[in-house]
Amino acid sequence: MIAVHDLAKQYHVGDHVVNALKGVTMSVGAAEFVTIVGPSGSGKSTFMHILGCLDRPTNGRYVLNGRDVSTLPPDELARVRNETIGFVFQGFNLLARTSALENVELPLLYTRQGVVRAAERRDRAMRALEAVGLTDRADHHPNQLSGGQQQRVAIARALVTQPSLLLADEPTGNLDSATSHEVMEIFARLSSDRGITIVVITHERDIAAYGTRIVDFRDGLVVSDRANEAREPARVG
Amino acid sequence: MQKFLRHPVVDTAIKALSRNRLQTVLTMLGIAVGVATVLAMMAVGAGAQRSIEQQVRAAGLNQITIRAGNWRPKITDSDEAVAHQGDARESLRHPLDRRNPDVLPIAFHPEDDPMEKHDHPTARQRLGDLEAGLGSAATMTFDDAEALRQLPGVQYVAGGIHENVRVHLDPSTGSGSPRATSRGDQKRWFTRMHGTDVMMPSIKRAWTFTSGRFFTEREQDRASQVVVLGQVVADKLFGPGAAPVGREVMLWNQTFEVIGVVTSATWVVQPAPGDDQFDAVYMPYTTTQRLLNLSKLNDITVTAESSGDISRLSREITKLLRIRHGIGDHEADDFTLITQATKALTTGGLPPSVARAVASNVAELEKVTLEQLAMTMERASRTMTWLLAAVAAVSLLVGGIGIMNITLLSVTERTSEIGLRMAVGARGKDVMRQFLFEAVVISAAGGLAGIVVGVIASIGIARTLQWATVVSPLSVVLAFGIATAVGVFFGWYPARRASKLDPIVALRRD
Ligand SMILES: Nc1ncnc2c1ncn2[C@@H]1O[C@H](COP(=O)(O)OP(=O)(O)O)[C@@H](O)[C@H]1O
Ligand SMILES: [Mg+2]
Repeated sequence: MIAVHDLAKQYHVGDHVVNALKGVTMSVGAAEFVTIVGPSGSGKSTFMHILGCLDRPTNGRYVLNGRDVSTLPPDELARVRNETIGFVFQGFNLLARTSALENVELPLLYTRQGVVRAAERRDRAMRALEAVGLTDRADHHPNQLSGGQQQRVAIARALVTQPSLLLADEPTGNLDSATSHEVMEIFARLSSDRGITIVVITHERDIAAYGTRIVDFRDGLVVSDRANEAREPARVG
Repeated sequence: MQKFLRHPVVDTAIKALSRNRLQTVLTMLGIAVGVATVLAMMAVGAGAQRSIEQQVRAAGLNQITIRAGNWRPKITDSDEAVAHQGDARESLRHPLDRRNPDVLPIAFHPEDDPMEKHDHPTARQRLGDLEAGLGSAATMTFDDAEALRQLPGVQYVAGGIHENVRVHLDPSTGSGSPRATSRGDQKRWFTRMHGTDVMMPSIKRAWTFTSGRFFTEREQDRASQVVVLGQVVADKLFGPGAAPVGREVMLWNQTFEVIGVVTSATWVVQPAPGDDQFDAVYMPYTTTQRLLNLSKLNDITVTAESSGDISRLSREITKLLRIRHGIGDHEADDFTLITQATKALTTGGLPPSVARAVASNVAELEKVTLEQLAMTMERASRTMTWLLAAVAAVSLLVGGIGIMNITLLSVTERTSEIGLRMAVGARGKDVMRQFLFEAVVISAAGGLAGIVVGVIASIGIARTLQWATVVSPLSVVLAFGIATAVGVFFGWYPARRASKLDPIVALRRD
């Protein structure tokens, strides 16, 4: 699924260079549920942006589904993001004044075939909302939904193009503990039921425990990478 | 439409624009003012263009008249020509125009004393070529006219015979109004007769027929006794608003059927008693030749395809006629060329206001040819057009900067939205299209409003300033196109900026 080799990322801030990633090598199999932990500034987000094709590494290789994507041009990366990857963010990033359903439809406006027909868009978005248990909130606008519900809408949006990789950067950062667990349950279910590869960044221990594999980042390097004995990896496909 | 409004790009645009409603409306207003001005500008420009064209046609700028006889010394030097324009003026004046009674209108029939009665075509009127005063000068023939028709650059040719006549209502059919019978001067009118060619209405393009028609080729071939009345003559004989077509009038004791009434097609020239065009009657020159026993023509009128071609064509005509008339190198012409430039200036084919405007611009009106006059008018309208163009350009610029401003604002406000769209698969060009579309929506909506305002303004200008305006469909399309182009042009930079955003940076913003 994912294979990164000696991945490095440098940022130039003024005169000095920030080495956000200093050579990360790891691979993630299909349907694995990986949680990434580590202190703030350790390069977790940077790593995830590269995994999500939102950014390109300064050095190293990134092979996604057998395809080297580390040097693809921006428009190609956009295609990969649309078709293969789903994102969930800490701040939900839903469009205001737009219904949950339309928010979920958003990726379907940018498919390879162009804008998906309205009826089909609606259909697929409803099915994605169903997967997160929010069909009854389809017409609600974000400001009419609780934080947990908003994050579930965001997950539905990430699912609507049926990606094989789901990336979440601190998805529970803005949620209380109870809803955090609800959200993580959804991820766990998606991993085991649908075989979607999931990478979740968090700095909460109990949230990290949902992963079948826990990776620890420190200073732009992986310092520990271990299977989570507490959970059985759900090997599907 | 419903489907269009539901399209995600449109839907997003509407949501985005309603977010900054006041700014959006103000920006649209700027564009609307610009577009309205563009439209008014084109309307005024086209109107002025049309006025000038009418003016030029009415004055016959492209017209050359060749008169039989050399009644003016041949002049080659242009300064001298100006000096002699005074002569031309007197000669061209209508016989009834007695403002200068001491100067005899030498180009006219010596018998043409308006004070005298001479209603018998077989008596003094019917003199034949020699006695008719054409004498040795009676050199112009129908064949000359035919030869001139073959010259390159010639548009129309019409031979003419001109007489002063008394037109009577036919006592047998001319019941007229009771007032006409009780007052002699109304049932009889002393006027100008033009025996002319079927081509005449094509030459006098500023003519329009109040009723009826001009005579036909057939009537000309048969020398039929049909007559077209100028508006003044029709009014004087039959009373204003009457329908003279089909009625009969008497000329030289002969019965003529009235087949049409002609008047001016332009406000520039108004029919007035004493003018040569509408205080006149027209009949086939063949009819005149038959009744007055004439075989020659008084003059031939030639129009050039292009008014700029007049000088060249004049030389060609002179050359051709000299050869045809067998005139030796050192002999004088037996004809006289009159271009309408001299004529229009001396007889005043222009409204006084225009003449005054022109006169204030140039030192000596006498020196102005009509070509220059047309240029001056064109310059005036061009000044007006440029003025409006400047206003339009400024308001479109302001509107365009407004569009750029509001779009930049929108890009800034929606940075995280842009980041999100990119994260879910939007490419740079998708983002660019969205913002360009929003810019164009503003400008096109402003454009539509501007078109409405512009059309109303054009009508208003026409009503209040008495300046003809013409709103053509093309100008409406053009105005809308300009509005859209402004949207694209000024939306480009912000849209491009949005499309170049780094999705990570954009996502982080909130
Ligand atoms: N766009 C950027 N420009 C400069 N430095 C950056 C940028 N993004 C991240 N960094 C730096 O890279 C390092 C890793 O950041 P990040 O990946 O966000 O860490 P984490 O998500 O683990 O907190 C930090 O030192 C951060 O300051
Ligand atoms: Mg982070």
